[in-house]
Order: sequence, then structure tokens, then C-alpha cells
Amino acid sequence: METGYAIAECNRGARMGLKTLANKVVEYDARLARGKADEIKPEHVRKVLGKLEKKTADLKAEIASTEKEDKKARLKRKLAIALEHVERAEWLLDKIT
Amino acid sequence: MTKYYLPVAIGALMLAFWVSPNAQEIAAGVAIFLFGMLMLEDGFKLLGGGTLERLLERATRSVPRSILFGIVSTTLLQSSSLVSVITISFLSAGLMSLMGGVGIIFGANIGTTTGAWLVAGLGLKVNIAAYAMPMIALSIILVFQKSKVLRGVGYALAGLGFLFLGIHHMKEGFEAYKDQIDLLRFALPGLVGLVVYTLLGTVSTVIMQSSHATMVLVLTALAAGQITYENALALAIGGNIGTTVTAIIGSLSANFQGKRLAVAHLVFNLTTAAVALIFIGQLRDAVDWVSAMVGINAEDYALKLAVFHTIFNVLGVVLMLPLMRRLVSALERRIVEPAPDVSRPRFLNNAVDAFPETLESALRKEVLHLHENATELIQHGLNLHRHEIFETDDIARTVRESRTASDLDVEEGYERRVKTLYSAIVEFTTRAGDKQLPPQVAQKVYDLRDVASDIVQAVKSVKHLRKNVLRYTTRYEGAVTELYDGLRTEIARILVEIRKLELADPEERSSLWLDQEQAQIEEDARETTRHIDRLIRTGKIKPNAATSFLNDSAYAYGAMRQLIKAARAYYIERDSSVAEVEKLLALDEDDFGPGAAG
Repeated sequence: METGYAIAECNRGARMGLKTLANKVVEYDARLARGKADEIKPEHVRKVLGKLEKKTADLKAEIASTEKEDKKARLKRKLAIALEHVERAEWLLDKIT
Repeated sequence: MTKYYLPVAIGALMLAFWVSPNAQEIAAGVAIFLFGMLMLEDGFKLLGGGTLERLLERATRSVPRSILFGIVSTTLLQSSSLVSVITISFLSAGLMSLMGGVGIIFGANIGTTTGAWLVAGLGLKVNIAAYAMPMIALSIILVFQKSKVLRGVGYALAGLGFLFLGIHHMKEGFEAYKDQIDLLRFALPGLVGLVVYTLLGTVSTVIMQSSHATMVLVLTALAAGQITYENALALAIGGNIGTTVTAIIGSLSANFQGKRLAVAHLVFNLTTAAVALIFIGQLRDAVDWVSAMVGINAEDYALKLAVFHTIFNVLGVVLMLPLMRRLVSALERRIVEPAPDVSRPRFLNNAVDAFPETLESALRKEVLHLHENATELIQHGLNLHRHEIFETDDIARTVRESRTASDLDVEEGYERRVKTLYSAIVEFTTRAGDKQLPPQVAQKVYDLRDVASDIVQAVKSVKHLRKNVLRYTTRYEGAVTELYDGLRTEIARILVEIRKLELADPEERSSLWLDQEQAQIEEDARETTRHIDRLIRTGKIKPNAATSFLNDSAYAYGAMRQLIKAARAYYIERDSSVAEVEKLLALDEDDFGPGAAG
């Protein structure tokens, strides 16, 4: 249920987030074409995704072991952000693979 | 005491020059010798970061390797004193461990015995001073080369040349005193003779700056029948003690590690000498036995002296090896590393300027140093204690319990601990900008300068809070205290999260974690405004206090944003492609607005 809350929060911002990400990718492609950015390969995205998934798992474990309600609420908000990042990373990986 | 040192030293030198013209040459010899030490250090630093570090790392990876390195290098250079001073330079430049250095010193004491064999067996004397002039002349060509390695070799070669030249001038200066060393005058039998000749060997080596020279003197006297064989053994023991003086002179310009090594050398040679003197009879029998075994004539005292020199130095190493770790620990306790002055730059020094590739690394460390100072100042400014905040599992509770006013003068602390470091960082990055660095390195250098700027801005923002933090948080005054406690808690949380990033494995951490904190503070900032409205409406807070708080909260959230911005840039992935990914995935300002994911 706690995770469900986080996912719902995440989905709420996800639509806008992915749109922002798409715009940033267009801007990145332009920089790459000008030689002002380093090329991103799937393994680079996978590396970040791995870190994010570990963070997500850590947050879920911390939420499960936390009793104080206010701390739990803070952690859930953090989890929502982490899940948003994971979703963006998966989208980016899909786009460049 | 320190203020009298310079005039007293200059006065003593002038007096010595007036009394004895020889003193000029001796003092110049010492000065040239120390100058050589400094050049050697510079050379090794230039060679650092690459081949030399790897070579030394391999050569001193274990104690047996260090000892072997000491034996080989001393055999080649024919001077244990020189190997000691070079080792002190290596240590001062941070290119090896103290353990490795002590191992080399042990090896050098064995390596030096080859000189006795050369003198006694072949009648050879390698005159290192003769190489000084060509070394210095060749070195200057290398020093003006563009290649860092060639310049490093040039400085090291010049350093060695000046060391030799310094020793040469010291010897020349002492020439007048040398004639006064008449061994016959001290020809004494028994224990007294042993002690006197040991002291004589020490003094003679100190004066002539060479245990080899002492050995020549001893062999000549022995051959002429001026001294007994036992007296000659004592002179050889004394020579070993005297050779440590060169290392002690060398350590004067070295850091604490160099001084530790010089003392280790002295302890090793004194202990070995004491053991040799106590068991002189047994050692003499051992020499006779070994000499007979290898076919040395019983009357060939010169070669027997070389056998003795070898046995007693090897014995010293065998005796001291089991005590090596204890010796190193004792030295680390006795000669402590000076406590770093937090108000001064720790990493941005001239040595770093000489290593363009370590420039970014040193700047990173200095910016972290600035962040540590800023963290402490911010927390004290909020009447919090760093260790309590970093150790607690309930930040809000720890903040509520922190009601004692910190006696820190925030303004003075800012000037001393933050502004001085920031100035040094700005000066360093400006200097770095003139070095024509590769564009990526230059960008990282400027990014780090911006990180420092954000940290400084955060401290400035917190300075604005100080007055009302003192007014409202040192005792509970209801809603207004709770409001300020809220701000203190949020700033403390950000500092804790940044610390977690610092402590995390670089392969596992991500600057994206900071988005979670950014989202939280933006939400808290919005909630704070709504909360203030409610408190004013219900009369729980007076309008003037509310106004002050709204001003202060703007500074507080500003400080939090600046700290996050600084941490985001500081902890960005080092791999630039992965860093691009993180930048793409990071949430933007719009994402933190009302109704966003966070």
C-alpha cells in the first residue's frame, strides 16, 4: 500500500516529467552534434539505473522498518522521486537502445 | 622563542665566519646540501603521479623488498647517508610509507658494507663529489625541457649534484680540523678504549661526512700499527653512528615523516652499535671463524674489518626486524603529525601547481575542506553541534534539545574559516586558468569554483538567521520557537544528506538523490507560508515576529538550495557520459512546483 501510494504520486508527475525529459534529450542531441557533449551509450544509462534501483530498494526497506509517521511520510515522498527517476531512466534507455 | 631564532642564527653564523674562515665553507656546504635536498624533493614531486610512484610502490610493497631496495641503491651510490636523505625526500613528498622508508634504511646499512669491502679489498674509493659538477651542468639542460618527466629528472639530478657538492665543501671546510684527529693520541686498551674509539669514529664521520673516509683512516692506522684491531672495530662502529648525522641534517628541511625516518636511522644505528660493543668479543670470534671459512688470512686485518662491518650490520637488521613495527608506532606517537590549521588551505600549495594533472584533485579536496568548515559554522550558527546532528537518529528531537547558545562568533568564524579558504580557491582557479588546461579539466576547475561560491553564499544566508536563532531558540517561546526549530531541522537534514553522499561508495552514489531533498524543501517552503498564515489568523504569532520569520525562512531556504546546488555539482559522476545521463534525468524547477511528483 505504501509503495502503491508512492507509485500513484510518481505517475501523477510522470507524464509531465517524461515530456520535460524528451525536451532535454532534444537539447542534448543538439549539443552532441556541436561536439559539446559526451555520447551516452546504453551502459551509461544502465549504470545510473542500477544506482536508482538500489536506492529505491533501500528506501522501501527503510519505510518498512520506520514507525514514526512523519518520517515515513518523508521517506514515501523520497521514494516517489526515486521511482520518477527510474521511470525516466527506463524511458531514456528504451530511446537510445 | 621563534622571533629570536633568526637574528640569533644569523649572529652566530657571522661570529663563526669572523672567528674561523673555514666556518664559511662548512656553512656554505650545509646550505648547498640543504638546497640539494629541496631540489631532490621538487624533482621527485615532478616525477610523482606516474612511473616513480609505481616503482617506489613496488620497491617498498613489503619489508624484504624495501630492504633489498636499500641494499641495491646504497651499493650503487656508495653512500648510506645519501640513500637516507633521498629516502627522507621520498617520504616528505608522500611517495612512500614510513614502514617502507625504515626498510630502506635497514637495507642501506647492509649496502654500506660493500664500501668497506671495496676499500679493504680493492683499495677503491668511489668519490661521488667528482660527479657533482657534470651532474649540475647536465641537470640545468633537463630543467628547461617541456616534458614533466625530463624536468623531474633534471631537478633530481641537480639535487644529487648539490648534495655531493655540499658534502665536498663540508669536507674541505673540515680539512683544517681533520689534521687534529691523531688516532695515536687515543690508543687505549680495554672497555675505555672501545668507548673512546667509538666516539672518535662517530666524530670523525661527522666531520668528514663519510663513513668511507673514516674506514680509510682506520685501515691506514691499523696497517701502520697505530691502533689495535679492537680499537679499529670500535672506530667502525662509531662510523656507523656518525653517518646518521647527515640524515638528521637532511631531515631539518623535511616534514614530520622525514624527521621520523631520521630518528629511526639514529635509533637503529645506536642500538646496533650498543649490541656490537656489548658482544664485541663474540663478534670478534665470529669474524675469525667466518674469515677462516672464506679463506681470509688471519693477519689480513683490513679484510677482517670488512667482515666485521658486514656481520655487525646484518646482525643489527636481524635484531631490529622483529621490532620494526613497534619502532614505527613509537615514532608515530612521539613525532606527531602537526594538527592542520582549518583556516588555511590544506591542499592548494606550490607542489600542486607543479602537477597540472593533480590540480583538479587538490581543488576538489580544498572545496571539500571549505564545505567541512562551512558545515561546522552553519551548525554552530544555528546553535547545533555537528557530531550530535551527524550521530542522531532523530534530527528534529536533537534540534529541539539544542537550546544552548553557541559561543562562536559567526562573523569571525566566517572571516577565518570560510572567506580565507574561498579567497585561496578563487586565486588558485584564476592561476589555473592561465595554464592552458585541457577544456574538460578547465571546465571542472571552474565548476568547483562555483561550488565553493555556492557554499559561501549558504554560509552568508545562515549568518542572517543568527540574530533570531539566538532570540527564539535558546528557550522555548511557543509557536515562534517551533518555527525556527523547523528551519534548523531542515538545514540540518540537508547537511546530513550531503554527508551521506560524501560517505557513500562513489560507485553507488548519485547526485540524483539530491532531487529528493530539493523536492522536500520546496514542499516545506510552501507549507511554511501556509502555516504562518494559519498562525497569524489564530493569533498564535504576532505579525512582527511572523514578518521576521518569513524573512529568515527566505534566507534559510536560500541556504538549503545553495547547499544542494553545490553538492549536486560536487558529487556529479566523474564519468562525463554518466554525468550527462544524470543531468538528463534530474528534475527541473517546474518538477518541484505544486502538484509535482515530490
